[in-house]
Amino acid sequence: MRRFFSRLVNLFRGPRAESEAVREIESHLALLAEDFERRGLPPDEARRAARRAYGGVEQAKELHREARSFMRVEQLLQDVRYGARNLLRTPGFTAVAVVTLALGIGASTAIFSVVNAVLLRPLAYQDSDRLVTVLHYGTGPVATANYIDWRDQSRSFAAVGGADYWSPNLTNSDPPEHLYGLKVTQNLLPLLGILPLLGRLFVAGEDQPGAEHEAILSYRLWQRRFDGDPGILGKAITLNGESYTVVGVMPAAFKFAPFWATHAELWVPDAFGDSIHDRGGNHLRVFARLKPGISLDQARAEMATITGRLERQYPATNRGVAVTPLKENVVGKIETPLLMLLGAVGFVLLITCANVSHMLLARTSDRQKEIAVRIALGAGRARVVAQFLTENLLLAAIGAAAGLLLAFGGTKALVALSPAYIPRVETVAIDAHVVLFLLAITVLTALAFGLAPAMHAAAANLSAALKEGGRGDSAGMRRNRLRSFLVASEFALAFMLLIGAGLMIRSFSALQSVDPGFNPHNVLSLVVSVAGTKEAEPYRRALFYRELLRKVGRLPGVISAGGINHLPLAGDLWSRDFVIEGRPKPRPGESPYAIYRLVMPGYFETMRLPLRGGRAIADSDDTRAPGVVIINERAARAYWPGEDPIGKRIAIGHGDETGPQTWLTVIGIVANAKQEDWAEQPYPEMYLAAFQNRDFLGESSDPIAPHIMYVTLVVRTAGNPADLSSAITRAVRSFDRSLPVSAVLTMDRAVADATAQPRFETLLLGVFAAVALMLAAIGIYGVMNYAVSRRTREIGIRMSLGASHAAVQWMVARQAVVQALVGAIAGVAGALLLARLMAKMLYGVRPTDPATFGSVAIVLGLAALLATYVPARRASRIDPMAALRSE
Amino acid sequence: MPSEGADRMAVLQGTLDLIVLRTLQTMGPQHAYAIATRLQQISGDLLRLNQGTLYPALVRLEQQGRIQGAWGLTESNREAKFYAITKAGERALAEETLRWRRMSGLVEKLLSEGA
Repeated sequence: MRRFFSRLVNLFRGPRAESEAVREIESHLALLAEDFERRGLPPDEARRAARRAYGGVEQAKELHREARSFMRVEQLLQDVRYGARNLLRTPGFTAVAVVTLALGIGASTAIFSVVNAVLLRPLAYQDSDRLVTVLHYGTGPVATANYIDWRDQSRSFAAVGGADYWSPNLTNSDPPEHLYGLKVTQNLLPLLGILPLLGRLFVAGEDQPGAEHEAILSYRLWQRRFDGDPGILGKAITLNGESYTVVGVMPAAFKFAPFWATHAELWVPDAFGDSIHDRGGNHLRVFARLKPGISLDQARAEMATITGRLERQYPATNRGVAVTPLKENVVGKIETPLLMLLGAVGFVLLITCANVSHMLLARTSDRQKEIAVRIALGAGRARVVAQFLTENLLLAAIGAAAGLLLAFGGTKALVALSPAYIPRVETVAIDAHVVLFLLAITVLTALAFGLAPAMHAAAANLSAALKEGGRGDSAGMRRNRLRSFLVASEFALAFMLLIGAGLMIRSFSALQSVDPGFNPHNVLSLVVSVAGTKEAEPYRRALFYRELLRKVGRLPGVISAGGINHLPLAGDLWSRDFVIEGRPKPRPGESPYAIYRLVMPGYFETMRLPLRGGRAIADSDDTRAPGVVIINERAARAYWPGEDPIGKRIAIGHGDETGPQTWLTVIGIVANAKQEDWAEQPYPEMYLAAFQNRDFLGESSDPIAPHIMYVTLVVRTAGNPADLSSAITRAVRSFDRSLPVSAVLTMDRAVADATAQPRFETLLLGVFAAVALMLAAIGIYGVMNYAVSRRTREIGIRMSLGASHAAVQWMVARQAVVQALVGAIAGVAGALLLARLMAKMLYGVRPTDPATFGSVAIVLGLAALLATYVPARRASRIDPMAALRSE
Repeated sequence: MPSEGADRMAVLQGTLDLIVLRTLQTMGPQHAYAIATRLQQISGDLLRLNQGTLYPALVRLEQQGRIQGAWGLTESNREAKFYAITKAGERALAEETLRWRRMSGLVEKLLSEGA
């Protein structure tokens, strides 16, 4: 203990203790010399003899120091000081190394912070890894009657709940607003395990018809529309014209649902009503919590049994029901691209390491003499390695600090750039995990780039280094091999990154040139919902929308206007089965189906969706006229191959509904329009006339009727469409002040959003590849340049013996060419492997696209050539006489 | 590079402290040079102590409070640091001696019986 303190004290009084030691050694030497003198040696010789007898004075001091103090700590501080001095002495080297490292570490950290928030962090529900979804083919909604059977028959789940999308109008509150919310079964919110901030969740019985008029608000909605009123509980709000009592407010961080309807900010109980017998209308999303001790596989097995039984009972239902971990549904789509980006940034970091590593190697060679002197003066080899590693760590730490700043900025930029499709992106932050990651990669980076040079430094041959002025070193060969390896691997990594980026760019440009079927320029879209207003009355609805279209169409700057239930790309996608007149009844599950659209006159004209045959829907297609339908080319080809569909009749449903069939005559065929996924081929599609559709007009009791109380207006304008949004809003409000206008969006924006994910990925990958290319070129340039400066003498001799400029240039370049070739071959192999993993993310380009591989090889070759050319030229310009004289 | 050559008999780890303490106990306060000389004399050059290695031992013992150093003058009027054994040093010496005797007895016994 005492020793510990005196060592601790010594740590702070280093210089004093040091002089004490020197004094004691001096005294010892003096006494020794005195002894030798007494034996008859002259004073000079006695002193020399004393020194010889004593041994290494410096080693003694070192031993002394070691005994005196916490050697490690003191050494470390000393190494840090020494390292810092060294780094400061070569500001150019340090600046380049720090910037390179900051790029590599900063980019990795920024991407990791996104991966951490989006992929790694558990979902913000209690024991979220026990939450699953039970949906058709993983993500598709299910019918109410099936949900009820699953809930009642399954034993694997602690609770099974359902949610249905619901977007009511908030009225009796200024301004009126079209809200996004969910109708949920009573048990759904409790099964998530998140307590409300205020009030309570729904309790048993509240999802029964008549008791369901209660609402839970999101924190944001509470703040935005009710100023965070703490007395909100028990107050009534008007949704779709009906009164709902607020019973709870959820915490600010609460979001539900996490993968679909992500912007929901209102939850009300779902009293299923008539739909409890419905097995055909799929609209409910089912969520469940596994019972403790039940595994996912057990739950899957049980659901397979249940749905198998139900399918036999009700043919063509309960197909492809999958139990999927909730998190998989949330992050599934983004997982591969994010991991790819993390991999890409990892490659950049590796290239960074390789670059800094051979910068250090070159520096180590120049410092050979210094190292030799230090070893001669008593530094152990381990000590030299430790010193180098400390210096490298210091370098990495400075790089990491700069990288952290970069990561802060980069993360913000990523979040701002990232399209809305990335779930949980709003939670991206530099948290403890990210800092830990940063520390880990900093240390790993320091080891990766620093270990080899440090080992080489310490392995130096002392006397050779001292004698030859640090030029001829025995470790040279090994060092050269290491350097070649570094350059080759940089090339391989850069090659792979460039292939990845090249494929993404090709794929993206293929996506860009996809024809959406319509002309999205100069079109504004906005949603006008009549729910809860007097315009919702069945007899008024058609009149209101007709008048509205007329009024908007007459606004200055408007070319035409139309309406549709769900806008392509931005809106929902409903699919409905139908029967074709005169055909045999299809087997269960094989009915023709099509995407279901309700359109108003003017829609095709406004969207410039070209008619391929027949006519468009006209004003005269109303309830008094015969029912009409327009189909897209895909539907025409799929269901009337080799036939002209025009004049044929279809009916929605399966042909076994009670009551008379409502036959619709096919009057026209339009081009295929992009529907939801930009890269997918459009599905068959049918457009019904809204003004003759009883569900839309509010004259039917079909369960889907309440879901079509809004219309997306599309308006083609002469100028910038966004300029007209306030004029159009005023036109809507002039009918009724309680009519909300929402989702105002230009079609160009909708198209951009549809390609936002590939754009984002392409942009990031492109940036990484560019950085990689630059770093690899800098790397090869540095190595070549260094090689030339080391071979000045040899080149001088060759030239004085008659070697031509070209021969010298080739001699220098040959090395680079070989390294680049080896790297490129390894890169092609790696890229072929990686591209296969990317196949799913590509559109219109094969992973082995020869054009991409070819152009990447050319780009990389040019970069290598350029990086080699300058040093090679310098080599051939060497004046033989000067070179020979210089050493 | 100077290092511990094969020709020198290394001081058994831990025994140097014992030897130094014993020397100071029998001879009274001494400076490092005198201790080193004394060790060489006694061992008859069998134990060739690198004089420099004595210092870490002295520093260590002083830090442990077993010896106490003070600057003084030698007979030839030279400045030197004189080390004296402390009470704690005496106690430690007694313990170490006992342990050493036991240990060496044991080793000796093992070596002769095992033959």
